[in-house]
Amino acid sequence: MSRSVEVRMADVRRLLECASIVFAGRAGIAPAIAAASGLTAEGVELGFASLEREVSDADLRAFVAAAGDAERVHVVLSANVFVAPLRAMAFARAAAGRVTVRPSPRDPALTRALVRAAVAAGDDALTLVDERDVSSIETGEVHVYGRDATIAALRARVHPHVVVRGHGSGMGLAIVSPGAQMAAAADALALDIVAFDQRGCLSPRVAIVVGPTPRAEAFAEALHASLCVLGTRIPRGRLFADERADACRWRETLAFAGRLWEAGDHAVAFAPEGSPLPIAPVGRHVTVVPVASRDAVVAALAPVARFVVAVGTDDLGGLEGMTPAHARRSLLGAMQRPPLDGPVDRRSA
Amino acid sequence: MVLAFQRGVAMPESFDALAVDLARFQVKTVPGYARLCAARSVDPARLVRAGDAPAVPTDAFKLSRVFAFDAADAAVTFRTSGTTLGARGMHLMRDVGTYDAAALAFGRAMLAGGLPAPVPVVVIGPSAEEAPDSSLVHMCTLFARALAPGSLDQPRCFVRGGSLDLDGLRARLASLAPAAPAVVLATSFALVHLLDALGGERLSMPAGSRVMQTGGFKGRSREVAADELRHDVALAFGVPERSVVAEYGMTELSSQFWEATLVDERARHGVYVAPPWARVVAVDPETLAPVPDGAIGIARIEDLANVDSAFAVLTEDRSRIVTGGFELLGRSPGAPPRGCSIALDEMLSSAEGPP
Repeated sequence: MSRSVEVRMADVRRLLECASIVFAGRAGIAPAIAAASGLTAEGVELGFASLEREVSDADLRAFVAAAGDAERVHVVLSANVFVAPLRAMAFARAAAGRVTVRPSPRDPALTRALVRAAVAAGDDALTLVDERDVSSIETGEVHVYGRDATIAALRARVHPHVVVRGHGSGMGLAIVSPGAQMAAAADALALDIVAFDQRGCLSPRVAIVVGPTPRAEAFAEALHASLCVLGTRIPRGRLFADERADACRWRETLAFAGRLWEAGDHAVAFAPEGSPLPIAPVGRHVTVVPVASRDAVVAALAPVARFVVAVGTDDLGGLEGMTPAHARRSLLGAMQRPPLDGPVDRRSA
Repeated sequence: MVLAFQRGVAMPESFDALAVDLARFQVKTVPGYARLCAARSVDPARLVRAGDAPAVPTDAFKLSRVFAFDAADAAVTFRTSGTTLGARGMHLMRDVGTYDAAALAFGRAMLAGGLPAPVPVVVIGPSAEEAPDSSLVHMCTLFARALAPGSLDQPRCFVRGGSLDLDGLRARLASLAPAAPAVVLATSFALVHLLDALGGERLSMPAGSRVMQTGGFKGRSREVAADELRHDVALAFGVPERSVVAEYGMTELSSQFWEATLVDERARHGVYVAPPWARVVAVDPETLAPVPDGAIGIARIEDLANVDSAFAVLTEDRSRIVTGGFELLGRSPGAPPRGCSIALDEMLSSAEGPP
């Protein structure tokens, strides 16, 4: 290892301090983020709450260990929620003494601000690049964030000895235990759904309610009420035309197959027991599914398990053996704030 | 309506009147349709036009019961070929009589019109025994039985166990009487496999023979542009390109749509024609309102032969109404991700990719 663990940890901590500086001045970049992401100003402010600024020693050690060691890392950012570049840059910085970052062309504001802050703080290891021809990279690693197809295309273009670490897209889901307090669980889950207007890979798009069907239906109604309240405080931003089309199709399908609670900026659907998990589209849409037992949860998750990045629940102990091993687990309401102990997506290559 | 079409006489009732009757029947007998109408504040008693009734998305066939009878009374269950995250769409029928009559009447007119009976049928696909839940295989078998009733002892299906039986196909084609034009029924991907296997070899078909191609590639073969496939198929079978016609059907429907190049000299490839008992409307994917002719929407299909399921079906296929029919422009791709949340389409394509 060319740099000690302590040096790597210090480099990451310095970057988090830069994040704190950017956070303090977030008003300056919030409009650009809102314009690019479609989030409302309130949605951007909520999103900033997920920007990592602190980390425990134990988590940071795990983070540095997960990052490994590379001569250089080239970070290529594309589809991500707007706070994600920080963890991506920190991961690369933990791995290497030299890091180049190509921001998302669509939403570069936070990346640029972080690099500016890092340079101002005396860390010249981070360099911003506007374009990145990966075929010209001959050493080190490429960390690419985006669709699986994007990652595959990039992988095909790099030199054979350049390591590509791909961080693809995924989804979150919620599991509501038989002992859950309905209103509290619904309020907490609503927070996870509203963050980033559900465009993150941690965002829950299905809620499995373990227990009898009427209980799940009651939870769907409670979740609708929670989203109504939260929506007045943090209005949904704009959805793009194709997102609205996806939402329309999902609403029509679930209005037929189950039951639908709709409001101006969200919808909750109830799907009948035994149906395959109908994954809701992004934009504050969620499908509530009753599942009778733990075994049935495992069976229901099987077809989508490889896409699941995060699971939120009211009963962490009860998840054992029920969810994919790679999935992050957290309490409802905390799904969007995973500890800085590795990549957000633990499936990452 | 099918009889009227076959006899060439006026339809006994208007399309809208029949559609409204069906909508009311399906509201009473299909609980999901009643829920959908209620969610959209549609009062079946006040319906006047087919377009006023909501369409059932094809996804609903994967999640829910879309039939107007007890499941135990189903005579046949057709299933979609792709599995969407573990689910296949199902279309149950308690009586295939309506399906068969509609499919045969329009198919015969669009594919076999003017050919002397009997018309030998060659299917480059599996048999009904191998694929009992495929509506396409059912239709091909139906055509074979109806067009060449005396030749059922002849082998007619040339995909067995998932493999093309090229030698069997060559032998069957060689056995055809030169004066008896035949029809070939095939999926697009089976035709690609055939062309690859032929490697430029030309097959011999009786003069006047015709070829039906249907469906997409679904990851089962390399993808070939429609024009190129048609050209190569025409060469391989020794028929004019206008004798290679595309058919568009879906498991969720009871009617099919055809290119009209065999029956209308003005018709062009890529434009599909509906039978009188079906209608395709391009609708806005966000509002589901019809878009103007020439504009791209998604295909809402009103199929009066879907008596016991859903007379109006919302597909995922992009379409455009043009002079003489409608064009198909591929499946709607869905929303690309604008965060790291996985897109529905990405999930589905990952789940449905080739094994």
